[in-house]
Amino acid sequence: MNLSGPIHDFLLVFLGSGLILGGQGVVLFSNPIYSAFSLGLVLVCISLFYLLLNSYFVAAAQLLIYVGAINVLIIFAVMFMNGSDYSKEENLWNIGDAITSIVCTTLFISLISTILDMSWDAIIWTTRSNQILEQDLITNNQQIGVHLSTDFFLPFEFVSIILLVALIGAIVVARQ
Amino acid sequence: MMLEHILVLSAYLFSIGIYGLITSRNMVRALMCLELILNAVNMNFVTFSNFFDNRQLKGDIFAIFVIAIAAAEAAIGLAIVSLIYRNRKSTRINQSNLLNN
Repeated sequence: MNLSGPIHDFLLVFLGSGLILGGQGVVLFSNPIYSAFSLGLVLVCISLFYLLLNSYFVAAAQLLIYVGAINVLIIFAVMFMNGSDYSKEENLWNIGDAITSIVCTTLFISLISTILDMSWDAIIWTTRSNQILEQDLITNNQQIGVHLSTDFFLPFEFVSIILLVALIGAIVVARQ
Repeated sequence: MMLEHILVLSAYLFSIGIYGLITSRNMVRALMCLELILNAVNMNFVTFSNFFDNRQLKGDIFAIFVIAIAAAEAAIGLAIVSLIYRNRKSTRINQSNLLNN
């Protein structure tokens, strides 16, 4: 989406802070229903990031499938399995949690140093020069449709079969 | 600038998803953290597809496949968790020893 500079930066910072707080909330809330709702916040923020990145079809698919199907299914499962052992299980902090947090912080810092050391401008310039310079009139959604119906046709059919088998299997497992 | 920003956010989501997946004692919360990891990977796919592959958009198509597989995974996982809850009356990870007896 081509917005002007300050609005774009404000949206970037706003969505980034929402994503950071939501990601903390998924892990740190003691009640699972709160963490399910903050997972919904994270998914909506990611969908708005896709809108900022000019990929509208993936943004709509994210909003429909993740927020509308998976998150509602997770909230339904949390409400269905609302046991009594939620309140007293989360507030103990043992040595395994400390080791895991150290390992994950190390992973995060190494990923950040790798990302910031890479010279992305040279890579962008190289790939831009390799691309064809003609300007075609086809939009992004039409491009995705053309790819899905020509050279990604077999994976598309396999994904539909996998979804059918998985949903029938889920119904058979959960029905009694 | 925007590329590094989104890559750092996706690295943050990935590491906090791994932390929650390892340390959570509730199966539904483990599934939620798995969704966080898949979303971090998807953000990387869409960002690289937008910045480096602006003509072909194959990263977008792969992101759609990942979303479809994640939907199937969530359905199967929650069905299994509800079955375990019906047999054990609990969704703690360390109490699910159904193959034991």
